[in-house]
Amino acid sequence: MTATIPDSFKFPDFYNFPPFFTIQPVLATREKQLGQWRELILRYHTDLKIKTLVLHECPLWKNPKIERELTGDEIRLVMDDFVTSGHGEWEDPQTRTRCRILWRKPEQLASDIYDWAVSNGYVNSVCTVFELHSGEDVNGMSFQGADEELLRRALGILESQGKCALFRGDTSSEDGIKFF
Amino acid sequence: SSYPYLRSPPSSSRFYFFMKWALQSPPPASRIFNHNIYILPTQYPMSHRRRGVGAARAGAKAYTKKAEEMNAVSLARAMETVEKLEVKLEGFAKTHKHEIQHDPAFRAKFLEMCAPLGVDPLSAEKGFWGNMLGIGEFYYELSVKVAEVCLASRSRNGGIIRVSEVKDILTQRGTKFKFADSKNKSSYSEEDIVTSVKKLSKLGSGFRTVEVGKSMMIVSVPEELDDDHMKVMDLAEENRCGAYGVVTVKGVTAELGWDHDRAKRALELLLGKGMAWLDAVGAEKYYWFPR
Repeated sequence: MTATIPDSFKFPDFYNFPPFFTIQPVLATREKQLGQWRELILRYHTDLKIKTLVLHECPLWKNPKIERELTGDEIRLVMDDFVTSGHGEWEDPQTRTRCRILWRKPEQLASDIYDWAVSNGYVNSVCTVFELHSGEDVNGMSFQGADEELLRRALGILESQGKCALFRGDTSSEDGIKFF
Repeated sequence: SSYPYLRSPPSSSRFYFFMKWALQSPPPASRIFNHNIYILPTQYPMSHRRRGVGAARAGAKAYTKKAEEMNAVSLARAMETVEKLEVKLEGFAKTHKHEIQHDPAFRAKFLEMCAPLGVDPLSAEKGFWGNMLGIGEFYYELSVKVAEVCLASRSRNGGIIRVSEVKDILTQRGTKFKFADSKNKSSYSEEDIVTSVKKLSKLGSGFRTVEVGKSMMIVSVPEELDDDHMKVMDLAEENRCGAYGVVTVKGVTAELGWDHDRAKRALELLLGKGMAWLDAVGAEKYYWFPR
């Protein structure tokens, strides 16, 4: 059962261009097309704050207004490209039906978090994972409301860069982060 | 007498009056040169007529010499008139500087007037036209913006874009020019865009305008589009579906009378250049031309 698209979502012009729903044979044109698909998938899921793309439930593959849709093989191609670009991860790499959408790449989140920590004076002090995604100081930041799994990934990157250290708390949300 | 056009509203009649006024005082000797240049023997002294054939031949030489002299004088007179016209033109431009800079229709007519006189207000960077009117600078600015739009859209349309679309994009961007009023955003016309591309192409940049059907397009890729491709694009222009042109192999063979292979070859080439995109619906193949 496909989800319905809320009226508030603004589709880009190329969504109503029939060839958008045929994977282009000319490689240079295909590159542009796949770029457009990546952009669409990412923006749709980020704007509507949807964390997972379930292949057969995603309403993007079909545009009834112009009577065009991607075939199963074409959907696979688009998704493989999407995952390769680093914006998504398969929850089930064997069957590849559910894809976790990384609204921001872990590397981007990592640098966002560190910048925020520096400008808010968290260097050499501690804050919790919970504060990062739901605290009062994080209004408008890219990691507000982010998946904990994603945050951990970002923090892992910062750790490997030597910019923070993680401490175990009572619950996973209470894990502490010390920024350097 | 005063200049009638100064008081009348902007219109093409203004130009007519200007030309009439500028040419109103022909040089006094012009009456002679309006007619046949050759002087009749009767206008020479009677002594010529009494001589024989040899004398007539010598006379003929004298006529040719005289004819050349009069040609030269005629030319000098003509050049004097042109110089006078140029001066008048400069005066006109000074008086109507504001309209020329801000009104695209007026500007177009003004350039039309300059062309037959060999005056090109756009090329002279320094000197009278460049400093006074500065419209050379205006076209330079415009051509840079047009080039930007063309290059940015190249990945979408393969390097060919309608002039009207360029204007839409620039208007949407709210692009401001040196002479653009804040109230009159579109103080440049499609004609201006075409003129600025002509300037660009003179610089050997590979930009050029091309007519496809009823639309004027700007091509920014160096590849030559040959006749076949232009015909296909013409056809696509005529068969628009919404904002996009579309054709099929069958449509091309039917409308243009080509065989299947020729039609397919042309379409495949346009696909390859990125100017057309493929739309496969079941067994049908449509070739779309993006805006």
